[in-house]
Amino acid sequence: MDHRHLLPSEIDLLLDGDAGFGLAPLRAHARRCPECQAELEAARQLVALLDDLPHFAPSASFADRVMADVQVFEPWHVTLADSVRRLVPASRPARVLAAAGALTTAFAMTVAVVALLGRLDLVVFVTEFLADRARAAVVATLGNAVTAVFGDVAATALARSGSAGVALGAAAFLVSLVVATLLLRALTLAYHRQRS
Amino acid sequence: MPPPLDLTNLPDADVVLLAQQGRERAFRELVRRYERPVFSLIYRMVRDREASEDLAQDSFVKVLNHIDRYRPEFKFSSWIFKIANNVAIDFLRKRQLDTVSMDGSPHAGSASEVEASSFELADRQETALDEMEAREIGTAIERAIARLRPEYRSCIMLRHIEGRSYEEIAATLDLPLGTVKTYIHRARNELRVALQDVRE
Repeated sequence: MDHRHLLPSEIDLLLDGDAGFGLAPLRAHARRCPECQAELEAARQLVALLDDLPHFAPSASFADRVMADVQVFEPWHVTLADSVRRLVPASRPARVLAAAGALTTAFAMTVAVVALLGRLDLVVFVTEFLADRARAAVVATLGNAVTAVFGDVAATALARSGSAGVALGAAAFLVSLVVATLLLRALTLAYHRQRS
Repeated sequence: MPPPLDLTNLPDADVVLLAQQGRERAFRELVRRYERPVFSLIYRMVRDREASEDLAQDSFVKVLNHIDRYRPEFKFSSWIFKIANNVAIDFLRKRQLDTVSMDGSPHAGSASEVEASSFELADRQETALDEMEAREIGTAIERAIARLRPEYRSCIMLRHIEGRSYEEIAATLDLPLGTVKTYIHRARNELRVALQDVRE
Protein backbone atom coordinates (compact mmCIF):
# COMPACT_ATOMS: atom_id res chain seq x y z
CA MET A 1 0.00 0.00 0.00
CA ASP A 2 2.79 2.47 0.83
CA HIS A 3 4.33 2.33 -2.67
CA ARG A 4 1.37 3.97 -4.32
CA HIS A 5 -1.25 6.57 -3.60
CA LEU A 6 -4.95 5.83 -3.08
CA LEU A 7 -6.94 5.19 -6.21
CA PRO A 8 -10.07 7.33 -6.77
CA SER A 9 -12.24 4.25 -6.19
CA GLU A 10 -10.48 3.66 -2.87
CA ILE A 11 -11.14 7.27 -1.87
CA ASP A 12 -14.80 6.64 -2.67
CA LEU A 13 -14.78 3.59 -0.40
CA LEU A 14 -13.40 5.67 2.46
CA LEU A 15 -15.96 8.43 1.75
CA ASP A 16 -18.88 6.05 1.91
CA GLY A 17 -17.78 4.86 5.33
CA ASP A 18 -18.24 1.20 4.51
CA ALA A 19 -16.89 -1.34 6.94
CA GLY A 20 -14.62 -4.12 5.78
CA PHE A 21 -11.24 -5.73 6.20
CA GLY A 22 -9.81 -4.06 3.12
CA LEU A 23 -10.41 -0.57 4.42
CA ALA A 24 -8.02 -0.62 7.37
CA PRO A 25 -4.87 -0.41 5.20
CA LEU A 26 -6.51 2.37 3.14
CA ARG A 27 -7.23 4.39 6.25
CA ALA A 28 -3.75 3.76 7.58
CA HIS A 29 -2.21 5.01 4.32
CA ALA A 30 -4.46 8.09 4.28
CA ARG A 31 -3.23 8.95 7.78
CA ARG A 32 0.44 8.69 6.72
CA CYS A 33 0.31 10.21 3.21
CA PRO A 34 -0.25 14.01 3.05
CA GLU A 35 -1.21 13.91 -0.65
CA CYS A 36 -3.83 11.22 -0.15
CA GLN A 37 -5.03 13.00 2.97
CA ALA A 38 -5.53 16.16 0.90
CA GLU A 39 -7.37 14.21 -1.81
CA LEU A 40 -9.60 12.57 0.76
CA GLU A 41 -10.31 15.91 2.42
CA ALA A 42 -11.20 17.52 -0.94
CA ALA A 43 -13.52 14.59 -1.67
CA ARG A 44 -15.15 14.97 1.76
CA GLN A 45 -15.73 18.68 1.10
CA LEU A 46 -17.35 17.84 -2.22
CA VAL A 47 -19.63 15.32 -0.54
CA ALA A 48 -20.52 17.89 2.14
CA LEU A 49 -21.46 20.37 -0.60
CA LEU A 50 -23.60 17.78 -2.33
CA ASP A 51 -25.28 16.72 0.90
CA ASP A 52 -26.07 20.36 1.60
CA LEU A 53 -27.88 21.02 -1.67
CA PRO A 54 -31.44 22.19 -0.99
CA HIS A 55 -34.74 20.87 -2.24
CA PHE A 56 -36.60 23.15 -4.62
CA ALA A 57 -40.29 23.75 -4.00
CA PRO A 58 -42.96 23.59 -6.69
CA SER A 59 -45.71 26.21 -6.88
CA ALA A 60 -48.21 26.54 -4.02
CA SER A 61 -51.04 25.05 -6.09
CA PHE A 62 -49.05 21.95 -7.07
CA ALA A 63 -50.82 19.56 -4.67
CA ASP A 64 -54.27 20.76 -5.77
CA ARG A 65 -53.37 20.28 -9.44
CA VAL A 66 -52.15 16.76 -8.75
CA MET A 67 -55.31 15.86 -6.81
CA ALA A 68 -57.51 17.23 -9.61
CA ASP A 69 -56.14 14.46 -11.86
CA VAL A 70 -56.11 11.67 -9.26
CA GLN A 71 -59.15 9.38 -9.17
CA VAL A 72 -60.11 9.03 -5.53
CA PHE A 73 -63.04 6.79 -4.72
CA GLU A 74 -63.83 6.82 -1.03
CA PRO A 75 -66.26 4.01 -0.04
CA TRP A 76 -69.32 5.13 1.95
CA HIS A 77 -68.28 3.24 5.06
CA VAL A 78 -64.90 5.00 5.07
CA THR A 79 -66.58 8.41 4.77
CA LEU A 80 -69.02 7.48 7.54
CA ALA A 81 -66.26 6.26 9.84
CA ASP A 82 -64.25 9.46 9.23
CA SER A 83 -67.33 11.63 9.87
CA VAL A 84 -68.06 9.85 13.15
CA ARG A 85 -64.39 10.07 14.07
CA ARG A 86 -64.50 13.85 13.53
CA LEU A 87 -67.48 14.18 15.92
CA VAL A 88 -65.67 12.37 18.73
CA PRO A 89 -64.02 14.90 21.11
CA ALA A 90 -60.25 14.72 21.47
CA SER A 91 -59.94 14.82 25.26
CA ARG A 92 -61.00 11.96 27.53
CA PRO A 93 -63.26 14.08 29.88
CA ALA A 94 -65.08 15.54 26.84
CA ARG A 95 -65.58 12.04 25.44
CA VAL A 96 -67.02 10.85 28.76
CA LEU A 97 -69.39 13.85 28.84
CA ALA A 98 -70.49 13.28 25.25
CA ALA A 99 -71.14 9.59 25.93
CA ALA A 100 -73.19 10.44 29.02
CA GLY A 101 -75.25 12.97 27.05
CA ALA A 102 -75.85 10.49 24.24
CA LEU A 103 -76.94 7.77 26.66
CA THR A 104 -79.30 10.14 28.49
CA THR A 105 -80.89 11.30 25.21
CA ALA A 106 -81.27 7.71 23.98
CA PHE A 107 -82.88 6.67 27.28
CA ALA A 108 -85.34 9.59 27.24
CA MET A 109 -86.33 8.87 23.61
CA THR A 110 -86.84 5.17 24.40
CA VAL A 111 -89.11 6.04 27.34
CA ALA A 112 -91.13 8.43 25.13
CA VAL A 113 -91.57 5.82 22.37
CA VAL A 114 -92.61 3.12 24.84
CA ALA A 115 -95.10 5.53 26.45
CA LEU A 116 -96.56 6.39 23.05
CA LEU A 117 -96.88 2.74 22.08
CA GLY A 118 -98.78 2.22 25.31
CA ARG A 119 -101.26 4.91 24.27
CA LEU A 120 -101.51 3.99 20.59
CA ASP A 121 -105.23 4.86 20.41
CA LEU A 122 -104.46 8.44 21.45
CA VAL A 123 -101.72 8.67 18.81
CA VAL A 124 -104.11 7.43 16.09
CA PHE A 125 -106.86 9.89 17.19
CA VAL A 126 -104.50 12.88 17.16
CA THR A 127 -103.04 11.89 13.78
CA GLU A 128 -106.49 11.51 12.19
CA PHE A 129 -107.64 14.82 13.66
CA LEU A 130 -104.63 16.66 12.25
CA ALA A 131 -105.04 14.95 8.85
CA ASP A 132 -108.73 15.98 8.67
CA ARG A 133 -107.89 19.57 9.51
CA ALA A 134 -105.17 19.61 6.83
CA ARG A 135 -107.48 18.05 4.22
CA ALA A 136 -110.23 20.58 4.99
CA ALA A 137 -107.76 23.46 4.64
CA VAL A 138 -106.51 22.18 1.26
CA VAL A 139 -110.04 21.65 -0.09
CA ALA A 140 -111.10 25.11 1.05
CA THR A 141 -108.08 26.70 -0.62
CA LEU A 142 -108.64 24.80 -3.87
CA GLY A 143 -112.33 25.65 -3.78
CA ASN A 144 -111.56 29.35 -3.45
CA ALA A 145 -109.08 29.11 -6.32
CA VAL A 146 -111.56 27.32 -8.61
CA THR A 147 -114.30 29.82 -7.73
CA ALA A 148 -111.98 32.72 -8.49
CA VAL A 149 -110.98 31.28 -11.88
CA PHE A 150 -114.06 29.43 -13.12
CA GLY A 151 -116.89 31.00 -11.12
CA ASP A 152 -119.41 29.72 -8.54
CA VAL A 153 -121.29 27.42 -10.95
CA ALA A 154 -118.21 25.45 -11.91
CA ALA A 155 -117.05 25.28 -8.32
CA THR A 156 -120.43 23.91 -7.18
CA ALA A 157 -120.47 21.31 -9.98
CA LEU A 158 -116.95 20.22 -9.08
CA ALA A 159 -117.84 19.94 -5.39
CA ARG A 160 -120.93 17.80 -6.19
CA SER A 161 -118.98 15.46 -8.50
CA GLY A 162 -116.88 14.19 -5.59
CA SER A 163 -113.36 12.73 -5.80
CA ALA A 164 -113.78 11.42 -9.36
CA GLY A 165 -114.79 14.85 -10.58
CA VAL A 166 -111.87 16.51 -8.82
CA ALA A 167 -109.44 13.96 -10.30
CA LEU A 168 -110.91 14.50 -13.78
CA GLY A 169 -110.62 18.23 -13.38
CA ALA A 170 -106.99 17.96 -12.25
CA ALA A 171 -106.14 15.67 -15.18
CA ALA A 172 -107.80 18.07 -17.64
CA PHE A 173 -105.81 20.92 -16.16
CA LEU A 174 -102.50 19.04 -16.48
CA VAL A 175 -103.22 18.02 -20.08
CA SER A 176 -104.09 21.63 -20.94
CA LEU A 177 -100.86 22.78 -19.32
CA VAL A 178 -98.74 20.33 -21.34
CA VAL A 179 -100.50 21.18 -24.62
CA ALA A 180 -100.08 24.91 -23.95
CA THR A 181 -96.38 24.47 -23.20
CA LEU A 182 -95.79 22.49 -26.40
CA LEU A 183 -97.69 25.05 -28.46
CA LEU A 184 -95.71 27.92 -26.98
CA ARG A 185 -92.43 26.08 -27.65
CA ALA A 186 -93.43 25.41 -31.27
CA LEU A 187 -94.37 29.05 -31.75
CA THR A 188 -91.06 30.23 -30.27
CA LEU A 189 -89.02 27.90 -32.47
CA ALA A 190 -90.93 28.99 -35.56
CA TYR A 191 -90.35 32.62 -34.68
CA HIS A 192 -86.60 32.07 -34.23
CA ARG A 193 -86.37 30.13 -37.51
CA GLN A 194 -88.17 32.90 -39.30
CA ARG A 195 -85.81 35.51 -37.87
CA SER A 196 -82.69 33.55 -38.84
CA MET B 1 -63.50 5.27 19.10
CA PRO B 2 -59.95 6.45 18.13
CA PRO B 3 -59.26 10.19 17.61
CA PRO B 4 -59.08 11.70 14.07
CA LEU B 5 -56.29 10.22 11.90
CA ASP B 6 -52.92 11.99 12.16
CA LEU B 7 -51.05 10.92 9.06
CA THR B 8 -47.96 13.05 9.60
CA ASN B 9 -46.16 10.53 11.80
CA LEU B 10 -47.23 7.37 10.00
CA PRO B 11 -44.66 5.46 7.92
CA ASP B 12 -45.09 5.59 4.14
CA ALA B 13 -46.42 2.03 3.96
CA ASP B 14 -49.27 2.82 6.36
CA VAL B 15 -50.20 6.00 4.49
CA VAL B 16 -50.24 4.08 1.22
CA LEU B 17 -52.53 1.49 2.81
CA LEU B 18 -54.96 4.25 3.81
CA ALA B 19 -54.76 5.67 0.28
CA GLN B 20 -55.60 2.22 -1.10
CA GLN B 21 -58.72 2.29 1.11
CA GLY B 22 -59.77 5.48 -0.70
CA ARG B 23 -58.88 8.13 1.87
CA GLU B 24 -58.18 11.40 0.09
CA ARG B 25 -56.18 12.73 3.04
CA ALA B 26 -53.73 9.88 2.59
CA PHE B 27 -53.21 10.81 -1.07
CA ARG B 28 -52.57 14.43 -0.09
CA GLU B 29 -50.12 13.34 2.62
CA LEU B 30 -48.09 11.39 0.04
CA VAL B 31 -48.00 14.46 -2.21
CA ARG B 32 -46.97 16.64 0.73
CA ARG B 33 -44.11 14.32 1.67
CA TYR B 34 -42.64 13.92 -1.77
CA GLU B 35 -43.48 17.03 -3.79
CA ARG B 36 -40.19 18.76 -2.98
CA PRO B 37 -37.85 15.77 -3.46
CA VAL B 38 -39.55 14.71 -6.69
CA PHE B 39 -39.69 18.25 -8.07
CA SER B 40 -36.05 18.87 -7.11
CA LEU B 41 -34.89 15.69 -8.82
CA ILE B 42 -36.75 16.52 -12.00
CA TYR B 43 -35.81 20.22 -11.94
CA ARG B 44 -32.10 19.42 -11.64
CA MET B 45 -32.48 17.01 -14.53
CA VAL B 46 -34.39 19.17 -17.00
CA ARG B 47 -33.65 22.73 -15.79
CA ASP B 48 -37.04 24.12 -16.80
CA ARG B 49 -39.36 25.05 -13.92
CA GLU B 50 -42.61 24.94 -15.84
CA ALA B 51 -41.77 21.64 -17.52
CA SER B 52 -40.55 20.26 -14.19
CA GLU B 53 -43.89 21.04 -12.54
CA ASP B 54 -45.74 19.29 -15.35
CA LEU B 55 -43.42 16.28 -15.21
CA ALA B 56 -43.63 16.09 -11.41
CA GLN B 57 -47.43 16.30 -11.64
CA ASP B 58 -47.44 13.48 -14.23
CA SER B 59 -45.24 11.37 -11.94
CA PHE B 60 -47.58 11.77 -8.99
CA VAL B 61 -50.69 11.16 -11.07
CA LYS B 62 -49.19 7.96 -12.52
CA VAL B 63 -48.26 6.66 -9.10
CA LEU B 64 -51.41 7.69 -7.23
CA ASN B 65 -53.81 6.46 -9.92
CA HIS B 66 -52.16 3.05 -9.68
CA ILE B 67 -51.72 3.01 -5.90
CA ASP B 68 -53.35 -0.41 -5.84
CA ARG B 69 -50.22 -1.80 -7.55
CA TYR B 70 -47.93 -0.79 -4.67
CA ARG B 71 -46.18 -3.69 -2.99
CA PRO B 72 -45.24 -3.14 0.67
CA GLU B 73 -41.94 -5.04 0.38
CA PHE B 74 -40.57 -2.11 -1.66
CA LYS B 75 -40.24 1.50 -0.55
CA PHE B 76 -42.83 3.94 -1.84
CA SER B 77 -40.08 6.53 -2.27
CA SER B 78 -38.15 4.22 -4.60
CA TRP B 79 -41.23 3.76 -6.72
CA ILE B 80 -42.00 7.44 -7.11
CA PHE B 81 -38.34 8.37 -7.73
CA LYS B 82 -38.17 5.71 -10.42
CA ILE B 83 -41.21 7.14 -12.19
CA ALA B 84 -39.87 10.70 -11.79
CA ASN B 85 -36.46 9.74 -13.16
CA ASN B 86 -38.03 7.97 -16.13
CA VAL B 87 -40.24 10.92 -17.07
CA ALA B 88 -37.26 13.27 -16.78
CA ILE B 89 -35.06 11.05 -18.96
CA ASP B 90 -37.84 10.74 -21.55
CA PHE B 91 -38.24 14.51 -21.57
CA LEU B 92 -34.50 15.04 -22.01
CA ARG B 93 -34.37 12.57 -24.86
CA LYS B 94 -37.05 14.55 -26.59
CA ARG B 95 -35.46 17.89 -25.89
CA GLN B 96 -31.84 16.69 -26.30
CA LEU B 97 -30.55 18.90 -23.60
CA ASP B 98 -26.85 18.20 -23.01
CA THR B 99 -25.62 21.18 -21.07
CA VAL B 100 -27.45 24.08 -19.52
CA SER B 101 -26.13 27.45 -18.55
CA MET B 102 -26.69 28.58 -14.96
CA ASP B 103 -27.79 31.82 -16.55
CA GLY B 104 -30.51 30.07 -18.46
CA SER B 105 -31.07 27.35 -21.03
CA PRO B 106 -29.37 27.84 -24.41
CA HIS B 107 -32.75 26.91 -25.93
CA ALA B 108 -34.51 29.78 -24.19
CA GLY B 109 -36.09 32.10 -26.71
CA SER B 110 -37.39 34.89 -24.51
CA ALA B 111 -36.57 36.65 -21.24
CA SER B 112 -39.21 34.67 -19.38
CA GLU B 113 -37.79 31.36 -20.65
CA VAL B 114 -34.27 32.42 -19.61
CA GLU B 115 -35.60 33.21 -16.14
CA ALA B 116 -37.50 29.91 -15.96
CA SER B 117 -34.37 27.91 -16.82
CA SER B 118 -31.94 29.79 -14.58
CA PHE B 119 -31.36 28.95 -10.93
CA GLU B 120 -32.38 30.85 -7.83
CA LEU B 121 -30.51 30.01 -4.66
CA ALA B 122 -31.40 30.97 -1.13
CA ASP B 123 -29.46 33.74 0.59
CA ARG B 124 -27.23 32.82 3.54
CA GLN B 125 -26.68 34.59 6.84
CA GLU B 126 -22.91 35.15 6.52
CA THR B 127 -20.41 37.98 5.96
CA ALA B 128 -20.49 39.63 2.57
CA LEU B 129 -17.27 37.85 1.47
CA ASP B 130 -18.47 34.48 2.86
CA GLU B 131 -21.78 34.98 1.17
CA MET B 132 -20.15 35.79 -2.15
CA GLU B 133 -17.86 32.79 -1.87
CA ALA B 134 -20.66 30.49 -0.78
CA ARG B 135 -22.90 31.64 -3.62
CA GLU B 136 -20.06 31.14 -6.05
CA ILE B 137 -19.41 27.60 -4.85
CA GLY B 138 -23.09 26.84 -4.61
CA THR B 139 -23.63 28.10 -8.14
CA ALA B 140 -20.52 26.28 -9.37
CA ILE B 141 -21.70 22.96 -8.02
CA GLU B 142 -25.12 23.38 -9.62
CA ARG B 143 -23.35 24.19 -12.88
CA ALA B 144 -21.14 21.16 -12.51
CA ILE B 145 -24.11 18.90 -11.79
CA ALA B 146 -25.89 20.29 -14.85
CA ARG B 147 -22.93 19.21 -16.99
CA LEU B 148 -23.07 15.60 -15.83
CA ARG B 149 -24.64 12.94 -17.99
CA PRO B 150 -28.29 12.42 -16.98
CA GLU B 151 -27.54 8.94 -15.67
CA TYR B 152 -24.74 10.26 -13.46
CA ARG B 153 -26.92 13.15 -12.34
CA SER B 154 -29.75 10.86 -11.17
CA CYS B 155 -27.35 8.67 -9.21
CA ILE B 156 -25.49 11.53 -7.54
CA MET B 157 -28.74 13.30 -6.57
CA LEU B 158 -30.32 10.17 -5.14
CA ARG B 159 -27.13 9.39 -3.25
CA HIS B 160 -26.40 12.79 -1.75
CA ILE B 161 -29.57 14.89 -1.80
CA GLU B 162 -31.98 12.06 -1.02
CA GLY B 163 -29.51 10.06 1.05
CA ARG B 164 -30.26 6.72 -0.63
CA SER B 165 -27.94 3.75 -0.31
CA TYR B 166 -26.29 2.24 -3.38
CA GLU B 167 -28.64 -0.74 -3.18
CA GLU B 168 -31.73 1.52 -3.06
CA ILE B 169 -30.47 3.55 -6.02
CA ALA B 170 -29.85 0.34 -7.99
CA ALA B 171 -33.41 -0.84 -7.23
CA THR B 172 -34.89 2.58 -8.03
CA LEU B 173 -33.12 3.02 -11.36
CA ASP B 174 -33.15 -0.67 -12.35
CA LEU B 175 -29.36 -0.71 -12.65
CA PRO B 176 -26.80 -3.23 -11.44
CA LEU B 177 -25.13 -2.26 -8.17
CA GLY B 178 -21.73 -2.08 -9.82
CA THR B 179 -23.05 0.32 -12.45
CA VAL B 180 -24.42 2.63 -9.76
CA LYS B 181 -21.08 2.67 -7.95
CA THR B 182 -19.30 3.39 -11.24
CA TYR B 183 -21.68 6.22 -12.13
CA ILE B 184 -21.31 7.84 -8.70
CA HIS B 185 -17.56 7.43 -8.78
CA ARG B 186 -17.34 9.07 -12.22
CA ALA B 187 -19.78 11.80 -11.24
CA ARG B 188 -17.72 12.67 -8.15
CA ASN B 189 -14.56 12.75 -10.26
CA GLU B 190 -16.11 15.09 -12.78
CA LEU B 191 -17.49 17.33 -10.06
CA ARG B 192 -14.15 17.41 -8.26
CA VAL B 193 -12.37 18.50 -11.44
CA ALA B 194 -15.06 21.08 -12.22
CA LEU B 195 -14.77 22.61 -8.75
CA GLN B 196 -10.95 22.66 -8.76
CA ASP B 197 -10.77 26.17 -10.22
CA VAL B 198 -13.24 27.59 -7.74
CA ARG B 199 -11.26 26.26 -4.79
CA GLU B 200 -7.99 27.59 -6.15
